[in-house]
Amino acid sequence: MPLTHVLSSPQNAVWLIPQSPFSRKCCSFTAIFLMFIFLAIRAVAAEASSLEDAARLLADRVVSIPNLHGPLRLEFTEGGGLAASPGKAWLGSFRKELEARHFDVTEDSSAPVLRIAVTATPTQLILAVSARSVDHDEVRFVSLPRALIRPANLPVAPLRIERQLVFESPELILDASSLWNGSEGGIELLAYRKGELTALQLDAAGAVKQSIPLTAAALHPSRDPHGELYARGNEVDVFLPGKVCTFIWAPGSEVKCHSARPVWRGTAFVTPSCDPGGWKIVSDGRDWTAPETLQVVPDGAAREGSAAIPSEFPGPVLNVNGEQNPASALVVTRNLRSGNYEVYRITLACGN
Amino acid sequence: MRSIGLRSLAAISTLLFVWLVTGTAWAAKRPKYGGTLRVELHVASVSLDPREWKVGSVAAAENEKLATLIYDRLVTLDDYGRFQPALATEWSHDAAVRNWQFKLRSGVKFSDGSALTPVDVANALQSLFPPGLQIIPGENNLTIRAAHPLPDLLEQLASGRYFVFRKNADGTFRGTGSFYLGESVPAQPSEVNPAALKPGHLKFRANEEAWAGRPFVDAVEVTLGAPGLRQILDLQVGRADLIEIAPDLVRKARQDNLLVWSSAPNTLLALRFDNSQAAAADDRLREAVDLALDRDTMASVLLQREAQPATALLPQWLTGYAFLLGSPMNLNRAKEIRASLPASEAGIAEPLRLRVDASGDLMKLLGERVAVNARQANLAVQVTPHGTAAAATNSNPAAAGLHLIAWHYDSLSGYAELGALVSQLHLQDGSETVPTAAEPERLYAEERRLLDQRQLLPLIVLPDYVGIGPSVRDWSPAPWGEWRLGDVWLEFGETTASGAASGSSRTSTKDRIPGVRP
Repeated sequence: MPLTHVLSSPQNAVWLIPQSPFSRKCCSFTAIFLMFIFLAIRAVAAEASSLEDAARLLADRVVSIPNLHGPLRLEFTEGGGLAASPGKAWLGSFRKELEARHFDVTEDSSAPVLRIAVTATPTQLILAVSARSVDHDEVRFVSLPRALIRPANLPVAPLRIERQLVFESPELILDASSLWNGSEGGIELLAYRKGELTALQLDAAGAVKQSIPLTAAALHPSRDPHGELYARGNEVDVFLPGKVCTFIWAPGSEVKCHSARPVWRGTAFVTPSCDPGGWKIVSDGRDWTAPETLQVVPDGAAREGSAAIPSEFPGPVLNVNGEQNPASALVVTRNLRSGNYEVYRITLACGN
Repeated sequence: MRSIGLRSLAAISTLLFVWLVTGTAWAAKRPKYGGTLRVELHVASVSLDPREWKVGSVAAAENEKLATLIYDRLVTLDDYGRFQPALATEWSHDAAVRNWQFKLRSGVKFSDGSALTPVDVANALQSLFPPGLQIIPGENNLTIRAAHPLPDLLEQLASGRYFVFRKNADGTFRGTGSFYLGESVPAQPSEVNPAALKPGHLKFRANEEAWAGRPFVDAVEVTLGAPGLRQILDLQVGRADLIEIAPDLVRKARQDNLLVWSSAPNTLLALRFDNSQAAAADDRLREAVDLALDRDTMASVLLQREAQPATALLPQWLTGYAFLLGSPMNLNRAKEIRASLPASEAGIAEPLRLRVDASGDLMKLLGERVAVNARQANLAVQVTPHGTAAAATNSNPAAAGLHLIAWHYDSLSGYAELGALVSQLHLQDGSETVPTAAEPERLYAEERRLLDQRQLLPLIVLPDYVGIGPSVRDWSPAPWGEWRLGDVWLEFGETTASGAASGSSRTSTKDRIPGVRP
C-alpha cells in the first residue's frame, strides 16, 4: 500500500484515508466501531469530577476487561505532576471499589499484577491501568480535566489560630474587608472579575450581592497590582496607586476618582476575647512561589517572651486586613496548589 | 511651653520612626522594579522568527525561551491545568470542535506603539499553522476553522512556536510581550584568537506599555555561546543570574551549592534507524538492538541520575501512560535474535554505522554506550561522532543505519507532538489514523504501534537544568520548561561582593531603583 500519511504541518497532522476500496470499507467499519467505543469511553470519563469518582470509574473499567480474573496484586506507580501524591489513601479507595464489584485483590507477591498510575499532565488527570489478560496486555484509562480537581482540604492550623476559608476565586484578589455592620456576616472584596478591577459585596454565604466595576480608576496595567478597601457604612474608599476612588453600595452607583497619595495600611492586629493585649500579624510575602507561614506575635515589650503562633498558608500571604473587626483579620493568599486566590478569616481562639 | 515643645518633638520623632519602619517593611514585602537580569545560554545564535524554527530541535527550544520575552500567545496554560487569557480574552468552539472563535483583547500595542489588529494575529498564526487551517480575522475577534476536529487547539496555541508576532519592512520582529529586543551583537571573531568566536549578546528592554504590565526588571541581557563551565563560574562570582546547566554538570553545580531548578523531562535522546544502510531495515535486527540497550545504566551511571530511562516516545508527564510502554532489557533474547541474523548484518565486516546527530560530549558518550550494549549482543556498531569530517562532509561513502538524535518536546498536545515526531523523523508507515479525539486511548494505541515498528528507540529523557543566582526572585517557569521572565525580579542587596567588583554589566543599586513602585 502506498504511503498515505500526509502531514501538512509539522505540528498538525492530517491523516488521509487510503485510496484502496477494500481498505476504505475495512477502515470505515473499523473507524465506526472504534468511534463507538471511544464515545462510550468518553461518556464514562466525562462523569468523573474527583479522584474518588475516578477510582469508581476505573474500577468499573477494570472489572469489564474480558477474561480478567482476580486475585490481582495492585502495583502503584507515581505518575507525577500532583502537588501531593494520592498514594496509599487513593489506592485504598480504589481497592475498595474493586472489592465492592467482587473483584479479588491480594497482597501475594506471586499474584498477577494490575499496574496503576495517576498522573497530572499539563491539562488532564490521567489514571491508567494495565493487566495481563490471557496472552496480551489490556490497558484502560480514565481522564478528567485537571482544573476540575480540587486540592485536598488543607489541615486546619493547629491550636489557637482559627482559620476559615471565606472566599476563593481564580482571579486576583487585592484586598478583603469585613462588612461594617456589627456582625461577622459578609465581606467586601477588591478583586478582578473578567480582567476588570471590581469592588464586590458578598453575603455570609459567599454569594455576590453587589459588584461595582472600577473602570473610572483607569489603572495602568501592573504585574504587582495593589489596592485597599476602606468601608464606612455604605460608603467605600478604594485606595489605588496614585488615586483614591469613592462610591456607595447602591445599584448604578457612580465611582468618583481623584489623584491622591494614599497612605497604605500598616500592621494588622487581632485581639482574642480572653486577652486584652493586641497580637500582631506578621507575614513576609516576599517569595510568591512558596507557601508562607503567617505568625501572630504578641505586641508590646512586656510580652516579648510569649511565643509566636504560626499558621501555614497554602501560598504567599498577599494582604492582611485587621481594621474592621478587632477580633479577626482577613488574609488574602494565593493557593499554590490550586492557583486560586483565597480569603481566610483568622481569629485567635482562647485555650486549646 | 518647653515641655510641650519636647513632647511635640518626641511625637514627631515617633511618627517618623514608625513611618520609616513600616515603610521599610513594606518595601521589603513587595517585588521590586529595576535591574538587569543576566542570562547565559549555550547556543551561539538564535532566531526570533518562529517560522524558521525546526520543530523538535534543541535550537528551536532555545529560540522559544527568548521568544517568550517579546511575543505573546493567544492563550496560556497555568500550572493548574487552566487555560488563561492572553491576547485572547474569551474563546468558544462548535460541537464538532472544527470552528473556534477567539475574542481578542482590546487596546494591545506592539512594543513600537502600533496597535495590534486581528489581521496581525491572523497573519502570524496563519504562517505557522498548516494551510488547511483557515484563520479569519474579524472586527475584534478571530475564527479558526479546520476540516477536521481540533480538540487540542488550546494546547497547541499555548505552547510551541504559536506566538503572535509581526515582521516589519526592515526585517525586524515586533511583539506585544514584556520586552523588546533593544540591542543585538552577533558573535564575532576574537582579536586574540581569530579562530575562536567572542560570544554574542542580546539585550531585551522592558516594554513599558505591555498589556500585562511592565516587567519588574529593566532589561534582560543574554550572552550566547557561553561554555558550560564558564556559565557555572559566572553564576558563582555574580556575573550571571540565570544559566543553563548541562546534565553532566548538574552534580558539580549542586556540589558547589548553586541553586538548580529542573523542568519536567523535555528532551528525548533516541536512536533512529535509517534504511540507507540495508541492515537497518531488518525488523529482527532492530528488535535485537532494542533488547540489548541498557537504559537504566545510561540514566544512572552515564548521566548520574540526572536523566530518566525512556520507555516511550512521549513522556509520562504529557501522556500519563509512558510507564506502560517499552520492553525491558533482555540480553539473552537479543543474542538469540542476533544468532538468527545473517552474519553480515551488523557484523565485523559490515558494522551498523551509528551517527551522532547532536553535539556535545554527552551525546558522544551515549553513542559509545550504545555500541558497547550492542557488542554484548554480538552486534557490531561503529560510532561516527557529531562534527567529525565524515559526519560533517558526508565524505564517508557508507551511509549510517542508525542516528542518535535529540528531540525537544515542543507541544502541550500529545497528538501534535507525536505528529511532529512522525513527520520530522520520517516515521510514516502508511497506517490510517484519523486523530478526531483527544482521548488517551487513541494516543496510546498510536504510540504503541510506532514503538512496535522500532524505527525510533527511546533511550533517555532529560530535563532542562537552570542555575539561579541569589538575587533572582519569583522564578516560576512552567513545569514543562517555558520561562516566564516578566514576573522575575531582583533582590538588589543580594549581589555577591565578587560580582559587584567584577565590573560586569550589573547596574548599581542606585541606578537600579527608579522608584517606580506602582
